[in-house]
Amino acid sequence: MRVVLSNSAGVPLYQQIKDQVGTAILAGELAEGSALPSVRALARDLRISIITTTRAYAELAAEGFIATVPGKGAYVLPLDSALVREQLLRRVEDGLQTALDAALRAGLDREGLIQILDGLIQAEHEYASAQEGMSR
Amino acid sequence: MTGDLAFALRGVGCVVGNGFALRDVSFELPTGYVMGLIGANGAGKTTTIRCLLGMQGIESGEIELLGHRVPGPVALRQDVGVVLDHTYLVGDWRLSEVERTLRPFYDRWDAVRYRQLLEEFGLDLRAKVKDLSRGMGMKLMIAVALSHRARLLVFDEPTSGLDPVARDELVGIIGDFLLDEGHSVLFSTHITADLDRIGDYVTLIHGGRIVRTGSKDEILDAYRVVRGGPDELRDLVGVELIGVKESSSGAQALVRTEEADFLGGGVLVEVPTLEEIAVHIGLSSRKPAAGVPDGRREEFA
Amino acid sequence: MTAVARMTVLVMRTVAPYRTQGLVVFGVIVLIDSRSLVGLIPALALLLAPLVAAQPFMVADKADLQTLYAVLPLSRRTVLLGHYAWALLSFLAIVITGTALAALLAQAQDMPFGGRSLATLLTLSWALFAVNISIQLPLLIRFGYTRISVLATTVPLALVMLAVIRVHLDLESIQDWLPLFWVAGAAALATSAALASCASNQRQRS
Repeated sequence: MRVVLSNSAGVPLYQQIKDQVGTAILAGELAEGSALPSVRALARDLRISIITTTRAYAELAAEGFIATVPGKGAYVLPLDSALVREQLLRRVEDGLQTALDAALRAGLDREGLIQILDGLIQAEHEYASAQEGMSR
Repeated sequence: MTGDLAFALRGVGCVVGNGFALRDVSFELPTGYVMGLIGANGAGKTTTIRCLLGMQGIESGEIELLGHRVPGPVALRQDVGVVLDHTYLVGDWRLSEVERTLRPFYDRWDAVRYRQLLEEFGLDLRAKVKDLSRGMGMKLMIAVALSHRARLLVFDEPTSGLDPVARDELVGIIGDFLLDEGHSVLFSTHITADLDRIGDYVTLIHGGRIVRTGSKDEILDAYRVVRGGPDELRDLVGVELIGVKESSSGAQALVRTEEADFLGGGVLVEVPTLEEIAVHIGLSSRKPAAGVPDGRREEFA
Repeated sequence: MTAVARMTVLVMRTVAPYRTQGLVVFGVIVLIDSRSLVGLIPALALLLAPLVAAQPFMVADKADLQTLYAVLPLSRRTVLLGHYAWALLSFLAIVITGTALAALLAQAQDMPFGGRSLATLLTLSWALFAVNISIQLPLLIRFGYTRISVLATTVPLALVMLAVIRVHLDLESIQDWLPLFWVAGAAALATSAALASCASNQRQRS
């Protein structure tokens, strides 16, 4: 399991752990059932506080990514398609919120925003077809 | 047996011969975590630790250590390891003799572990205690504490005088020690950098009183650091500025988070580091406790 | 081994690095008194033995052994009794060795040695040592070695006592009272140990 913490990211340490482990699970890098280090072992390895790792694991467990076994550690739960979907939808919402904030500041209206969205979707299609073309 | 609390102090007050006092000291540590006791020299860290270990009598309040009222049974000390900034052993003893001398007093002395630890720390059994550098001396005392299977490690200013490499090694040693959730650590220091990352709980002590205690996140969340131009901080009303530092280019102080809303937009407000909290609290109300000149090192025993 | 026995061994280990100095002083006293053996045993008992009894306190101050004794699973009473036990045992060792040497020297020089005058000498040495230690140990426990100059207390005390012996006491006259001196010495030590327990509680507070 790969967790690399940044001191200057401005993101709290527990959040960084949560994000990295969550991303790894969603991407399939951490297989279902695989064991994660205990909160104490992780704290020892990363040289951070146990409360921090405990919090990261607690939130990951609350969101259904992992299950913790008291005294033994934690393991990855099967990727639930509802779970994955929920996580991804949340990311869509976060992303759109960010875009919306920027749009308001730029004075962009709904039309302008949809135009940009359509442009991006178009670009994705073109990129996907180009990829397909190359692989033939 | 793992209880809930490694130790607890409740309303502890004590007087030390030269007039220094602890007043209404209360804080506790759940088993399985590391607490940093942070304060300037002379703030009362060593006195607090001596009271906790039963080496110093208290006038008021109560102390609980590993589930027992202090002063507890002498056997309680089987579970406690104490590491100071100096070794408290006879200088002419060789490390092998240290073991022969201390072993009879401990029920659970693990001779194999002692040798393993000495090897891991790079200490030679034939070396004499007086020949050890500060860092090696600290590691020796840790080796002794781990060899008698202490459950609670108490460090009093272990890193003063140590180079950054040795201090970093200590972080690793503590991490290993805490792999067992029945183990706890109390770490008193005036160097906050040691605890920035691995500290679970923090207690701030100043002038013999506890300023604040709680999890590290709670403490960091309880204060904000305020930075502004040289005069900007003076005009603020209704806000208590803690430990103002002024220079020609600006001023800086600590405020409680709940008061930070009154600060207005002209100044920069940020989450502080432990260091900044410690410094500003140390600067605030600069009258030292009676009879203790600034910077005097408290004697341990 | 009982706790006190273990403590006594610990005390012995703390002063072991100084055994050469002790032997040297022993040798010097023997040399000085080798002609007039009467002074040998009292000198050992009043000059060397008190210094040896005080030595653990010197080492304790230098090496912060007060912390060690507070960290080890030892009651204060055990720590205290261990120091008294060391004083007693080292006294016995010194005096027994000294007496044996004196006997040899007496034989070599064809001098009379032994009998009632030896018993008197030993009794007096014990009594004076016990009184000396009974005063000194509680002071050392209360104030620590660096604040009590041991030589400053031992030497005048020894001289005073030797003078008292010379001037007032006719060795024959006290021969009937020997058991009393033994008891007096033991009583002094016991009282001293009791007082010292209170004193050591005091020291913890300051």
